[in-house]
Amino acid sequence: MAKSLFIVIVGCGRLGSHLANGLSAQGHGVVVIDLRPEAFAALDAQFSGFKLVGDAVESEVLRQARLDQADLLLAVAEEDNVNLMVAQVGQKVFAVPRVMARVADPAREEAYRQFGIQTVCPTTLAGEALLATLGRSGEARR
Amino acid sequence: MSQDAILVVDDEKNIRLALGQALKPLGRPVLTALSGEEALEMLHDPGIGVMILDYRLPGIDGMAVLERASRERPDVAVIMITAYGSVERAVEAMKLGAVDFIAKPFAPEEIRDLVSRVSNREALTEADARDYRGRLELAKQAIRRRNFAAALDHARKAVGLDPYRAEGFNLVGALHEILHDREEALRNYRLAVEVDPAYAPAQTNLERLVSRRGQGGIAWDDDAGEKGR
Repeated sequence: MAKSLFIVIVGCGRLGSHLANGLSAQGHGVVVIDLRPEAFAALDAQFSGFKLVGDAVESEVLRQARLDQADLLLAVAEEDNVNLMVAQVGQKVFAVPRVMARVADPAREEAYRQFGIQTVCPTTLAGEALLATLGRSGEARR
Repeated sequence: MSQDAILVVDDEKNIRLALGQALKPLGRPVLTALSGEEALEMLHDPGIGVMILDYRLPGIDGMAVLERASRERPDVAVIMITAYGSVERAVEAMKLGAVDFIAKPFAPEEIRDLVSRVSNREALTEADARDYRGRLELAKQAIRRRNFAAALDHARKAVGLDPYRAEGFNLVGALHEILHDREEALRNYRLAVEVDPAYAPAQTNLERLVSRRGQGGIAWDDDAGEKGR
């Protein structure tokens, strides 16, 4: 990502804050939304974006975050349903060019894909990583 | 001497950082002040042409800074930073020649566009005012020069060029309000709401004027709520 993007991140938990810190450090414009003001404590002192307290399920909150101007939406809230809904609204209502969502339940990944939303599933990723590690240690023993 | 430098006045570190980052591609010097006192000190620098000023500051607040800057450095164009949806004393700011507002949070491109527009506005002439945008810019140039009657004339012409956009009607309304014509102000705010019910500043102005209780300023935000963005 060479060009500076305007990015809206929904959820400032462990993943959301990590993404917000990293993308801000890379020089992108960032708005991070969370229901709980205390969630923003996880942001670095160098974080150069905006913090917005609100429920991202309400489109007014997304409008306030200037989602209409965003190049990228990252839906990484705690709940899969919230992420799915926010991602869909971002795509259909705000016409965000690129929408990505975290989904905890591998069974729901297919639903996201049908809506044309890119997903990352930590469960699947961790499972694959563990299996790969097991595979390697298995080979090493032989 | 060129007035290339941009002065950012905000006590919040992340806003200063965000503005610094957003303005970098313009290739202009960006100076920062953490307080109103510091800003007024820095305004002695003749290289400053634009000031981006938060209403809320510790110590001397943004309005007081604007008030002094408008006397001591009337050549500096001021962009006021507002909280989303608020119409913080916009009429007072307008009377002091501040015609540009940006709501937090903003996209980097928005603030760059606004700074460029503000910087180019002084040089505009009648010849640039063939379209709606151009007319509105001339109206804002006139407000910056505290010539509210000329501003009203330009704003009316803008509305004549495109009667399907809310911003022009809202501006005409706001100028009537400044010129103490409540009936005309009301009529134009209503028209703004009629052409675009989603244009929040006009809705706010209308409600405030109808209730007559409001102490708030005239809502008149360039970008907030306008359709088709």
